[in-house]
Amino acid sequence: MNTMKQFYFAAAALALALAVPALTDASHLNMAILVLMAAQAGIAWNMVGGYAGQVSLGHAAFYGLGAYASTLLLVKFGVNPWIGMLAGGFIAALLSLGFGWSCFRLKGHYFAMATIAVAELVQIFFTEWEYGGAAVGLYVPMDKQGWLWMNFSTKLPYYWLALGLLVITLAANWWIERSYLGYYFRAIKDEPDAARSIGVNIARYKQVALSVSAFFTAAGGSLYAQKELYIDPNSVLSTALSIKMALVSILGGVGTLFGPVVGAVVLTSIEEFTRIAFGGTGRGTDVIIYASLIIVIAVFYPTGLMGWLRSFRERREARAHADRQMAAPSAAVQTLGKEAS
Amino acid sequence: MTTDILLQTLASGVLIGLIYALVAIGLTMIFGVMDIVNFAHGEFLMLGMYSAFWLFSLYALDPMITLPLTVLMLFAFGVLLYKLVIVRIINAPMLSQIFTTFGIMILLRGVAQFLWKPDFRSIENSAVSGTVKLLGIQLGKPQLVAGVGAIVVTGLIYFFLNKTRLGAALEATASDKEAARLMGIDSHKMFSLAWGVGAACAGAAGVLLSTFFPIFPDVGANFILLAFVVVNLGGFGSVSGAFWAGILVGVIEVMGGLLLGPQYKTAIVLVLFLGVLMFRPQGLMGKA
Amino acid sequence: MKKSWWARVAAVLAGAGFCLCAQAQQEIKIGVLYPLTGPGASVGAELRSALELAADIINNGAPGVSELPLSAGKGLPNLKGAKIKLVFADHQANPQTGATEAERLITQEKVVALVGAYNSAVTATASQIAERAGIPFLNPESSSASLTQRNFKWFFRTTPHDDLFVHNAFDFLKELEAKKGIKAGVVASLNENGLWGTETTKLQTKLAPEFKQNLVKQVMYPAKTTQLTSEVQTLKAANPNLVLQSSYTADAILSIKTYKELGFSPDMILANNAGFTDTDFIKTLGKDADYIITREVWALDLANRNPLIKQVNDLFNSRYKINFTGNSSRTFTGLMVMADAINRAGSTEPEAIRKALAATDMPGSKLIMPWKGVKFDATGQNTLGQGILVQIMGGKYNTVWPFDMASREVTWPMPKWDQRK
Repeated sequence: MNTMKQFYFAAAALALALAVPALTDASHLNMAILVLMAAQAGIAWNMVGGYAGQVSLGHAAFYGLGAYASTLLLVKFGVNPWIGMLAGGFIAALLSLGFGWSCFRLKGHYFAMATIAVAELVQIFFTEWEYGGAAVGLYVPMDKQGWLWMNFSTKLPYYWLALGLLVITLAANWWIERSYLGYYFRAIKDEPDAARSIGVNIARYKQVALSVSAFFTAAGGSLYAQKELYIDPNSVLSTALSIKMALVSILGGVGTLFGPVVGAVVLTSIEEFTRIAFGGTGRGTDVIIYASLIIVIAVFYPTGLMGWLRSFRERREARAHADRQMAAPSAAVQTLGKEAS
Repeated sequence: MTTDILLQTLASGVLIGLIYALVAIGLTMIFGVMDIVNFAHGEFLMLGMYSAFWLFSLYALDPMITLPLTVLMLFAFGVLLYKLVIVRIINAPMLSQIFTTFGIMILLRGVAQFLWKPDFRSIENSAVSGTVKLLGIQLGKPQLVAGVGAIVVTGLIYFFLNKTRLGAALEATASDKEAARLMGIDSHKMFSLAWGVGAACAGAAGVLLSTFFPIFPDVGANFILLAFVVVNLGGFGSVSGAFWAGILVGVIEVMGGLLLGPQYKTAIVLVLFLGVLMFRPQGLMGKA
Repeated sequence: MKKSWWARVAAVLAGAGFCLCAQAQQEIKIGVLYPLTGPGASVGAELRSALELAADIINNGAPGVSELPLSAGKGLPNLKGAKIKLVFADHQANPQTGATEAERLITQEKVVALVGAYNSAVTATASQIAERAGIPFLNPESSSASLTQRNFKWFFRTTPHDDLFVHNAFDFLKELEAKKGIKAGVVASLNENGLWGTETTKLQTKLAPEFKQNLVKQVMYPAKTTQLTSEVQTLKAANPNLVLQSSYTADAILSIKTYKELGFSPDMILANNAGFTDTDFIKTLGKDADYIITREVWALDLANRNPLIKQVNDLFNSRYKINFTGNSSRTFTGLMVMADAINRAGSTEPEAIRKALAATDMPGSKLIMPWKGVKFDATGQNTLGQGILVQIMGGKYNTVWPFDMASREVTWPMPKWDQRK
């Protein structure tokens, strides 16, 4: 997608996003917030998973680190959640150094598996860590409310917060994509040997991608904590969450700017819709439908929905081009036709 | 901590490790032949357990007797799954493959709950129940039989891969798909064979487990992480690697839990796993 | 002239129509939030059955349960016979999903109250939503003490919490020694390491010295495990007489099998509900489950003190082919308490329902629980609830404590595995 198209798409999406609160009730607004949060986590993942091609299936570690960092700072030291969110982001970026050091020498499936192992270790750590609440989890106090304390009694401010965080994360990704960093990331993903031969320090830029990704993922975690007001190792550190972050990008299209946004809309909608429609029966039909849809999209649209959209447009343009050819035959054919008659 | 308890724990570790090995062998074969990580592997285990359970409850047939039947059914199921879904993602990017098998994992769990409800089942008083004392160590009969069964099945797989023509064809496809095709080996047939055998191995492990482990739709989740660790540790694609790594993981998990605290048993395995990968990224017996 | 005549007729007809509408039956929507798929689905299914039975009794009546409030089957009398409509939502044991569903039930389905959610972590987040929205939330089963320590106005819990339950176990041991001369001896604990097991472990650490019990080892383990060998061997090494255990269903079943496999026979296992009182526990273990003592909240043999227990259980069993457990009976009771409060409120206004809940004073004779009654304190906790202890014998749960409610004497110690037939 060239810059102009990106700009139009973004403007349209933003306009839609701004209109949503006026059009919906609290429950739908809540679901919109879930979409925004899923998209933000997906975009953060995409920085290292899609653009740099390092498929991490342990990103929940950063999400949880962010959530726990900001919550612990708030609960134990009274630190403002805005500062806590920034602090959480930096802590996650710092710890991603360890993550990268232990995992980046591995390739492909080994790397993915190692990321799962590291994230599981982080979850076990938080399950056993007494100071951090262990398995009991942490409550975020509701006594201080308002924008200063990132704590609201209605849904609307959370919507703006989630939208704001998404826009910032998206902007960061856009800037990276167009900068030399983006260039290096793509090189690492597509032609690592060629990149190395021209002197690109692969290890350093993999780490950069990971650290930036970790920072934004952690910010999303802090937002989760402030919204749900309760965190425990299962809700912010599970492997299932890691998978979801990557899934959102895959459905939408890895390595594309808006892929995770599209993927988040589709995935969250499917999830919520099937559960609401069929979950009450307890037979598991919602799970079956949800899983079937994932399989269908993964099998038939490996480049994600953005990729499908692009190929759809390309095929349409190709057909239009062919039609034009058919409608205006070449001069040679016309001459032949005249001679024949 | 007496030597008695240490020895008994070691024995238990080996026995459960053999089960891990059997599950991992199926997983590593699938990877070795077609480069796909099968997230749904735990569900083959689950299906094997349910198969043993239903044959036992409905027809009073002991799991040891119905083991071959379950293995055949899981083999057929694996091949069916290949032909319906997997064949379409052979050349897809790794992420698509991961998510297809992830989707299958959720689908199978949902279907299991739909068909058999989320209740917990168990096989009681099968032909192998009770305990036995071997060299002064007390072992459960189901666990012992399961361990022996795992060795037998592994032996059969090893024999199949190394001593039969079909097995050689499979190995050939695993090491070089194109070359194998040029020699007249049909890749698709090999792939569906790998899936069938992989599913059958996990199904066999399920039957062996069913004599002492509770059965429920999500039971695959308990085993899948360790199965992946074993496959990685042994080296993707190496059957003997999976075998030894399985035993190693079983022993480390159980001994580590005993010596350092059971709440850390998984953590100990994971740390060991990451440690090995740092010095031998291809696993213990994988190809560099 | 004609125009105004028509206008008057129209007005009268409209007025009559309005009256008719008011007479027509209202539906009282109550949101019920439980794990219907995923982990916990097995329990969730039973709780769902309990809720459906309760709603059915209220709406359509049932024979032989006259003590039960609202059992005449005419809906809620103070609301002109309005019927209860349950709106089920599945939270899949996920706190965020629980909050999302709570939000949806409140704003879209417009339920007048919420009942749920079994898992303490989900109850935590879902009740936050209710608190913010000013909708009453009744929690029949979650045992984490922290839930009533949040200064919430709209949260009510009928079940006793972990603090009381762990106290029950130690009170039992104290009375066992004082009145029956049985000493607990060396004590060890085996608890799963999630929210519930962790809180229980902390309480046991605190109470053991207070009750002068010799707690030598506390083992914790991840519930979603493939084997319990390390755990049982650790216990064996500590050589305890008594094991206090908190496990969910799969690990409870696995633990007993592992005890047998490794020849670990403590004098007694004193379990903490959950997996040990799951319908599948005795079903899968058969005779191996015998002699285990577990804390419970409900037992069928208490019907001799309160016939209502058996009457309602008969209804449940005839429909669903299983008996109540402590979980399903509490869920049933929770809905009854909520319906009763709405009825006393005589309105569907949240504040009216909340006031009625706060004023609840239901005597034990109207409950199917062995409680003194239901009365909420300022934190929303029912202060009249209690736990009981049951011993499994012959595949049934027999009340053994409090001693004045017991239906049989405690058999202590358990016979060793190799001495059982």
